[in-house]
Order: sequence, then C-alpha cells, then structure tokens
Amino acid sequence: MTALQIIFLFVAAVTLASAVMVVSARRMMHAALWLVLSLAGVAVIFALLDAGFFTVVQVLVYIGAIAILIIFAIMLTRKAMEDVGPQLNRGWWLAALAAVGVFAGLAVVLVSWPGVNASAGAGPDANLIVTFGKDLVDPHKFVMPFEVASVMLLAALIGAIYVSVEHKGGQK
Amino acid sequence: MNLENLVAILPLAALIVWAVLVLLVDLWIPKSRKFITALITAAGLALSLGLTLAQNGQSRSAFGGMVAVDGFAVLLNVIFLASGLAAVALAYDYLKRMGIERGEYYALLLFSISGMMLMAYASDLIIVFLALELLSIPLYVLAGFARPRSESEESSLKYFLLGAFASGFVLYGVAMIFGATARTDLAGIVAAMGSGTGNPLLFIIGAGLLLVGFGFKVAAVPFHMWTPDVYQGAPTPVTGFMSVAVKAAGFTALLRVFTALFRGDVYADLWPLLWGMAALTMIAGNVLAISQKNIKRLLAYSSIAHAGYLLMAFVPYGTRLQGDAVASTLFYLIAYGLTSFGAWAVVVALEKNEGMGLEIEDFAGAGRRYPWLGLAMIVFMLSFTGIPLTLGFWGKLYLFRTAVEGGYIGLALVGLLTSIVSAYYYLRVLVVMYMKPGEPVAQGGPWVNILAVATAAAVVLLALFPGPILDLVSKAIMLQ
Amino acid sequence: MIPLPWLLVFAAALFCIGLFGVLARKNLVAILMGVELMLNAVNVNLIAFWRYFSAAGEDSTRAWTFVAVVLVAAAAEAAVGLALIISVYRRRKTVVADELNLMKG
Repeated sequence: MTALQIIFLFVAAVTLASAVMVVSARRMMHAALWLVLSLAGVAVIFALLDAGFFTVVQVLVYIGAIAILIIFAIMLTRKAMEDVGPQLNRGWWLAALAAVGVFAGLAVVLVSWPGVNASAGAGPDANLIVTFGKDLVDPHKFVMPFEVASVMLLAALIGAIYVSVEHKGGQK
Repeated sequence: MNLENLVAILPLAALIVWAVLVLLVDLWIPKSRKFITALITAAGLALSLGLTLAQNGQSRSAFGGMVAVDGFAVLLNVIFLASGLAAVALAYDYLKRMGIERGEYYALLLFSISGMMLMAYASDLIIVFLALELLSIPLYVLAGFARPRSESEESSLKYFLLGAFASGFVLYGVAMIFGATARTDLAGIVAAMGSGTGNPLLFIIGAGLLLVGFGFKVAAVPFHMWTPDVYQGAPTPVTGFMSVAVKAAGFTALLRVFTALFRGDVYADLWPLLWGMAALTMIAGNVLAISQKNIKRLLAYSSIAHAGYLLMAFVPYGTRLQGDAVASTLFYLIAYGLTSFGAWAVVVALEKNEGMGLEIEDFAGAGRRYPWLGLAMIVFMLSFTGIPLTLGFWGKLYLFRTAVEGGYIGLALVGLLTSIVSAYYYLRVLVVMYMKPGEPVAQGGPWVNILAVATAAAVVLLALFPGPILDLVSKAIMLQ
Repeated sequence: MIPLPWLLVFAAALFCIGLFGVLARKNLVAILMGVELMLNAVNVNLIAFWRYFSAAGEDSTRAWTFVAVVLVAAAAEAAVGLALIISVYRRRKTVVADELNLMKG
C-alpha cells in the first residue's frame, strides 16, 4: 500500500463518517457543519486525483456558497429547528433498507467488474486548465453547455427572486 | 462556421432572447395592463414557431455534435411551442381572476419551454441533463405561482424535492455511461460500445439509473407519488402545461437517449423493466383514478395512466419496429396533448376563486348551462377513453398495433382492459355534468372558451382525417 | 495510484448516504443536504473516470465540462430550493416535510 492509498482511505473514511453525521445529526446546525467537513473531504479526493482546479471550485462553490446558504437557511428558520424530537420519519428503516440495498447492488457489481485493474493513464497535461478554458468557448466543443448553463442560472435567479419577494395585497 | 451553428438553433436562441425581453418590458407595463405581456409572449412563441417550421426537412448536427436538428426535433418543438401558446391562453384571464397576474409567469414559461426545445435538439448527455434542469427549475417556481395559497407553495416544494432527487439519478446514470465509454455524445457512445472498447456492465447500470430518473419526469409508476399533489396544488394553467409539455419532454428524453444508445443486448436486459413499468403505470393510474373526487386529482391520475399508454408504445423501440414505436409514441402524444389541454381549459373555465369549484360534483349542471363547453368535454372524455371518431381512438389503435406487432400481446391486453376501466371514471364526469342539477358559473374568459372549442374541433376533425398527422409522425426521424 | 474500484465504491456509498438522507429525514433543509451529497458522489465518479480513462486523451476536457455543469446545476437548485423552503416557513412556521399535507386524495 502506498502513501497515497493510505491517505485516500483516511480521507474517504472521514468523508463518509461525516456524511453519515449529516443525515443523522439531531441539530440542523450540526448537520450543516458536518456537511462542510464532508464536502471538504471530497475536495481532498479531487486533489488526490490531480484535479486541482475542482478542488478549488469545490471549496469556493460548495463550501463557500452552497453550505453557507444552507447555514443561512437554518438560522432563518431557527424556531422550527429547535425541535429536538426525532429527526427521522417513521419509515426511516425502509429508507435505510433501500439505501443499503442500492449500495450493496452497486458495490457487488463494481467490485466484480473485470476491468477493475484499469490503471490510470498518464497524468493530465499541465496545460489542461488552459485547454479547458478555450474549449468552453469553442463552438465545436463546449460553448453550448456553457451558454445554456448561464441561461439556467438566470432562470433560477429570476425564480428565486420571485419566490422570496413578499407581494403586496396578496396576503390571505 | 459559427453563424451556421447559431442558425441551427435559431428558434431556441430567439425564444431565450425573447424571454429576457419579456422580463424587461414587463417592468414598464402597468399592473392593470398585464395582458400586454401575455400578447408579447404569444408573439415570441409564434415567432419561434415560424422559425421552427422553417427548419422543416433539415437534418444536421451543430456545435460539434452537441445538438441535432432533424425531423424529430422540429415536430417536438412544434408541440412544445403550441403547448406554450395554450398555457398563455389558459392563463390570460385566470391569473387576473386569481389575483396573481405578474409578468414573471410569462418569462418563466418561456424559459421552461426553451429547456424543452433544447431537449428535443439534444444529442449529447450533457445537454440532456442541462435541458432537464432548465425546463424544471422555472416549473418549480411556476407550480408555486399562486403563492399566498398554501397548497400552491406545498405543490411547488414537493415538485422541487422530487425533481432534485430525480436529477441525482439521471446524473449518476450519465456518469456511469461516461465511465463505460469515456464519451457523452450519443454518436461517440454508440461508436465506443460498437467497437468493444466500452464497458457493458457500467453501461447497463447507467441505463437503469437513467430509466429511474426519466421515470420520475414522465410520472411512471412506481415514481408517480408526487403527481396528484403537485397537479392539485399548482395553478390550473400550469398544471395543464405540466401534464402535456413536461410529459412530452420526458418522452423526448427517453426517445432520444434510449433509441440511440440502448439497443441489442442492453435492450434484451431492459425491456422486461420497461414492460413492467408500462403495465403497472396503466393499471395503477386507471385504478386510482376511479375513487377521485377532485377533478384536478382525477386528471392527474389520468395523466399517469396515459404515461403508461405512451410507455407501451415506446416498449418495442429496440425491435425491428423502432420507426413504428417512435411514430406511435409521437402520435399518441399529439392526441393526448390536444385532448388534455382541452379538458384543462374546461376546468379553468369552471374553476372558482381561491381554488374552489374543483370537485367533480361542482360541475353538476354545467353541460346544460354551457352547451359548448359541455359538448367539448364530451369529446375530450371520449377521446381520453379511446372511443371511435376521436383522435384518442386512432392514437390507441396505433399503439396497440405497434405493441402487438412487436410481440407484446400481454401488454396490449393490459392496455385494452385498463381502457375499459377508464371509461367508468371519464363517463362519470359527463354524467355529473349532464344528469345532476346545479348552477356552475363559467368565467374562464374568451380565450379559454376558444381553446376548449378549438381543441375539441381538432380532436374530431383530425380523427376524420388522420392522414396528415400519420404522415407527420412517420417523417419525424432522428438523426443518428 | 488509488485503485479505481475504491473510488467507485466510495462514490456509491456517498450517493447512498445521501439517498437515505432524502428518504428518511423530516426536515426540508436536511433533505436538501442529502441531495447535495448525492450530487457530490456523482462528481467523484466523474473525476475518477476522467483520471483513469481520458485525462491524457484529446477529449480530456469533456468530463471537466460535465463536472462544471453539475456544480452550476447544484448551485441553481440550492438557490431555488432554499428560497422555497424559507417562503413556506414564513407562512406556515414549519420546515417539516410531514406537515405539508393539505392535499389528500
């Protein structure tokens, strides 16, 4: 076992453990903080896979924006969050069964896969990030997803603003 | 070269630009004159419709294989844009009546339609996913558009949670297919699998996960639980739009992705799943519809049942009957879309304020008091059941034939039996409308009445002369 | 190098933990957190496949584009979703999924 593999196992264990805490913690604020740790673990795994760019993006977008947004939402809905009763619904064991079942199925299939020993090719080109930037605006490559993603963000922005503005006169 | 690419997606680009325009212009339109926004929106849809029709007969790909402009895309885009026009007509007076007349409705509607159009063009899994998100996100908000009403907000939230959950499955499926072939463009994936460099195991997992994700979108059993609540809570014009256009978009994704990718061995593994899903959807949709008292819930279960019939037409796609399977799915989509919009128009016309007047009992007496609406409703209910002289009959005949010729006789039998069951609850609506006394008030406004009568006329006339539509759907061939 | 199956099993586990969160949690924000975990699992998958199958090829930016798209979609969904949740909370003073039951058939 190489040092890299040991680091991976450690990070993966931390990530999964904090993910379990995210879905089981009683207090929402704790769950959100565990989520931050879990997302950070994923960022480290991106780094281990030579995808440094996405490590940065993961920290900026997921931890910096989405997790913070979630924490804001929790603080804004605080009164309801102080509920210390059970945080799982009555059918939780069914959900657990489904999740374990899906995982067992996937794991068995993935591990028994003959291509298991595929070794990684050569590492990525040092200029990949430059190529990536160029490809995103290249009409023969990925300008389409790039532009459509911007339209989607605009639609989401309009939708979110519409939902959050209190309209006058509409109250019951 | 770049211009050529842009011209290929001109109808879509024009619609997106128009959506932004509507949003801006709406700022200067006073609150009492919001009908101007509706008219501008309709003009934009008509413009895009014209540009789409101008693309008829083309067959090419653009943006490096990201999108394909072909007969299939043109036909579906016409369906989506027509649905948009119908949704504007339904909302024209409804929003004002309910006190929720705001310009955002139209802008969000246009964004959602552009997502659907993108789905029709998509020939890359990245685009399929983006189109799914672009069409869903505005709809989450539209479902909650009647915002002070709690049902509407609840519907919106349920739709959002289920939608986000479903897109997780779609994404996992696409990731697996990417793992199997290292490609996301449909042509590249087919080539990789054909040359044996792909990995069949990951590929089949991906197929299954995609089926789950798309199953949520078309509301197939067992992924249908959200449908009745969302349909009931959303403003009625939005519900009508969802029941036709979103379903059509879900089937667009299925047709585009499955007919291109999952053939041969994968189809052999996949068809029992599809078979079971189609049969369950038909049975559950029709049986659960029987006990419904609310017309919106009734039509929601009916839309689930029709998703089952559409799936039945789709099941033989991997046999030699692929052309027939695609054509009969599209034919049934058109028949179902016309009928469904008509029925929703009648519902909108008879709906009272604050979401009242939606129990089936509230329709008592409507048939005598409003002969035109009553007559239209008769046509729609018969067409839903599949009685001759309506377009629904031809749609069902065509898809039963496809199923039987494809060797799925059992499935056709299930379809036939459930159709008989469905006659009970469709006819019950008519019985209440004509046999029971009541004093309902139709206040839908002129556009809703026109829509109801026009779709009823179309359902009957096109049933007398189904040739043109048959011709149209058989020419809607995908570029592969 | 890390064996590929380790990564795939890790991603599957993360996905299923998220799945459990979505299905079992009562709190709407917690359900959303489950969805975020699921999307993260997909990104781990994509980056792993990219590293093993196409990092050095001529098509090496395809997976990156996809990962970027997933990130954007996650952000858009989170924005709309949290807006909806807070809007419901303002009127109903609840963020519990079970209490959203005005409609029954």
